[in-house]
Amino acid sequence: MISRRGFLASAAILAWGSAGSVAAASRPTAETVLQTWYGLMLELVRHTAPYSPPVAARTFAYLGIIAYEATASGGGNLQSLAGQLSGLNALPPRSSEARYDDANILHGAMQSAMIDLFDRTGPSGQRALKAVRQKLDAELSAGVSASRLKRSRAYGEAVAGHVLDWAKTDGGADVVNMGFPDTFKPVDAPGHWKPTSVIRMQQAPLLPMWGNNRTFAISAASACGLPPPPAYSEDKASDFYKEAFEVYDTVKTITPAQRLTARFWSDDPMLSPTPPGHWLFVALDILRSRNASIEDQVDVLARLGIAMSDAFVACWKSKFDYNLLRPVTYIKKVIDKSWEPILITPPFPEYPSGHSSQSGAAAVVLTQFFGENFAFEDKTHVREKLPVRVYRSFWEAAEEAGMSRLYGGIHFRAAIERGLEQGRCIGTAVNAIKTRRTV
Amino acid sequence: MIRTLMTLSVLFSGLMAPAQAEATTPTVPSFEEVTKTSGVASVYSGEYLYMVGGGAATFDCNRDGYPDLFTAGGEGRSAFFRNQSKRGGALKFKKQRSGLELDKVTGSYPLDIDADGNVDLVVLRVGENKVMRGLGNCRFAEANAGWGFDGGDAWSTAYAATFEKGAVWPTIAIGNYIDRKQEISPWGSCTDNWLHRARVDQKKPPYAFTKPVALTPSYCALSMLFTDWNRTGTPSLRVSNDREYYEGGEEQMWKLVPGELPALYTDKDGWKRLRIWGMGIASADVNGDSYPDYFLTSMADNKLQMLKEVAAEGKSKADFKDVAWPSGVTLHRPSFGDDLRTSTGWHAQFEDVNNDGRTDLFVAKGNVDAMPDFAIKDPNNLALGKADGTFVDMAKDAGVASTETSRGGMVVDFNLDGLLDLVVVNRRAPAQVWRNTSKALGHWLQVKPAQDGANRDAVGAWIEVRLGDKITRREITSGGGHVSGHLGWWHFGLGANDKAEIRVLWPHAEAGPWQLVMADGFYVLKSGAEPEMWVPK
Repeated sequence: MISRRGFLASAAILAWGSAGSVAAASRPTAETVLQTWYGLMLELVRHTAPYSPPVAARTFAYLGIIAYEATASGGGNLQSLAGQLSGLNALPPRSSEARYDDANILHGAMQSAMIDLFDRTGPSGQRALKAVRQKLDAELSAGVSASRLKRSRAYGEAVAGHVLDWAKTDGGADVVNMGFPDTFKPVDAPGHWKPTSVIRMQQAPLLPMWGNNRTFAISAASACGLPPPPAYSEDKASDFYKEAFEVYDTVKTITPAQRLTARFWSDDPMLSPTPPGHWLFVALDILRSRNASIEDQVDVLARLGIAMSDAFVACWKSKFDYNLLRPVTYIKKVIDKSWEPILITPPFPEYPSGHSSQSGAAAVVLTQFFGENFAFEDKTHVREKLPVRVYRSFWEAAEEAGMSRLYGGIHFRAAIERGLEQGRCIGTAVNAIKTRRTV
Repeated sequence: MIRTLMTLSVLFSGLMAPAQAEATTPTVPSFEEVTKTSGVASVYSGEYLYMVGGGAATFDCNRDGYPDLFTAGGEGRSAFFRNQSKRGGALKFKKQRSGLELDKVTGSYPLDIDADGNVDLVVLRVGENKVMRGLGNCRFAEANAGWGFDGGDAWSTAYAATFEKGAVWPTIAIGNYIDRKQEISPWGSCTDNWLHRARVDQKKPPYAFTKPVALTPSYCALSMLFTDWNRTGTPSLRVSNDREYYEGGEEQMWKLVPGELPALYTDKDGWKRLRIWGMGIASADVNGDSYPDYFLTSMADNKLQMLKEVAAEGKSKADFKDVAWPSGVTLHRPSFGDDLRTSTGWHAQFEDVNNDGRTDLFVAKGNVDAMPDFAIKDPNNLALGKADGTFVDMAKDAGVASTETSRGGMVVDFNLDGLLDLVVVNRRAPAQVWRNTSKALGHWLQVKPAQDGANRDAVGAWIEVRLGDKITRREITSGGGHVSGHLGWWHFGLGANDKAEIRVLWPHAEAGPWQLVMADGFYVLKSGAEPEMWVPK
């Protein structure tokens, strides 16, 4: 079985063994370097305080772009994303006069980016960052001349620096108070979002300005906008009431299979790698199991990160445009004051479903690369003793992820279905990015 | 014995909106920091392996009635300080060799394991834990081998002890943290907690522990407490776990039936999944319903749990509701100053520091290690209980709002003047000592239940103090807080009452009779005897 620990444990750096065995160790490949840093990233996403799902997706995008550009600069078949992503200018080129080591370039870029993007992680995260960096430093030094090593690492760092400078201007770089405004006054009108938690910080919604962030592949957050949700009504004959009653009734009569589905896709921040991390886990597992080339890996990971990040920006724009209340608020008021959802209701407006938007986008991107009806196993939560789930296609998984929010009692059906459609729109835009010089 | 829900508990009904506390502020006690003159000089030092821990233990090891002090030193040596204070005088301690000078200590709890009248210590370490046998006159010697105690080799961060029914030797639970060898991926590496029970074939001394049982699954415990949550007379083991490191974990409670393996409470018992950065447990009957309530420290919001529904005797479901917000004790960020990032709570303890008859709550705070999203200057809290059942933090006014990086501590009367003093252990900074210098507080009472034979200090007993129609209850526990424990006098504030009725519900035995005692005194309580007044020298 593969687990997040497995990403790290399977890496050559851990097989390296005791000190002094450098010469005997096999040098990690660029693929190993990539998977190792991504494995650590999935851990740190869970263990770094500001990493809510939108923030995580943003980091996945930038790290993917950094890995992609560090690799694309080598003159292979990858085409730079500069000029294709909003505001990304040409990256520093490699010197045509000098020789480089690709794995060391990637390591230089990744370690530089990880240290920057996870500068707020706790002591265990800092310790892990240092340990991974030192192990890869040592192992990747073997058999490479000092000048080539230095040049390669420096080049990787320059690529990361270029992208990270760009990242600072997107509106999402500075997350204060873990994304919750200090003060917030809910709209005092029927149908609008109200806090659903007894946690003090969560009396304000998460990241209310996130929808203003710069997007990567879509022209603006509104490019994949949505129609309004069903009109708010407490009339039992209304569409809104019917949707709410569906949530109420589903939770009241939930089956063990539905409950497990809700938990499997729950992907709670700070208790899991988050929803975008869930999809990243799936992608990394597939790429590794297929021994995918470094070009294929960075292509998939960059697209996936971009798609999920844009999905969250677009979704958040819609969420705060419509500012719809959560099922628990409505159901307690209108249907049954003793009703409780199965999942913890996230602290922000309901429409559309964030997990649905980003799952739809992820599924479209992965389908483009791996093909329609690509069956796969999802082992994301094995370590939490949840079973492996098998899907016949990425879209089937995305639809299940969406429906899990209804089973969990935190979303109405419209938010799920339209969220998936929003994700499809964004995924299509991401798939239009040209990553190969020749097909 | 079990009372139905009392009036105060109405305050905590689900219908109650998060409320601001009532206008009346309780009497704010005055504390004076006396660290420099106290003779206490101790630092909880060390890097990664000491980011948690840092406890204090208070106990009387020379039978003078005054609580002596043991502090964890982390990478440095732990230290013992003999209490030389005089009644009502300055707090004076003398560091002296005791045999407790150990390295790699995270915390410690006092307990008379072998029932010889000398306090023993269970010392938690990064490495082998130690049981330190009290030899008298504050000398200690390791007893792992002699008592068959397997100290293991873990990162130990929690402890609780109980005396199971019929047992002549305690049952000790040890909580362990992450696998410290997992440098790259410590997450999901929580190591087993252990339950040390006595050998079952023992008929007479010398008694010994048997090989510990793993309390699997274990989720990186930072506090444990044996507590009779449903008043059946058989305590269960609450475990507060750090969600930072577990996979699929949650807060836990274990049933412990004598002669049987421990079993977890589950949703079938009403237990609800709660995932927090659990770091400390404090218990007290806050709402007066006769059941213990639990304060759980964490990062950001702390929790105050009360039984959701009180059923007939012993039939309540293990279903707790969080009333921290309506009670005014989320204590989720510094209550003053410019640093409004969220807080990190560690040791917690309910005590009546202003002797008004209502329990108060002390919480030690401190950043784990320069985590930028959490308050760096994170003042400790002293939340005073109010007449309406809520609390208000008055630590700054009381003079105890230290912004050092605090971990463990103890609220205890060091100079036996009836006013509770305070010691706090800080990470990478000197431990601090405060003397309660308040004038004209209410009356008080301090008692010490005593038994012959095993469990001399009556761990598991309930002490009840009756003032008119109000009963204040206290469960005598060994464990909880954050790696900090106390054995000795148990304090009650009496407010304006100059006398009180008192009784003991002895462990696994009947309740004693109500007995009248005069306020402002110390009493040794023995089954079948009148309260025995004790006067400090």
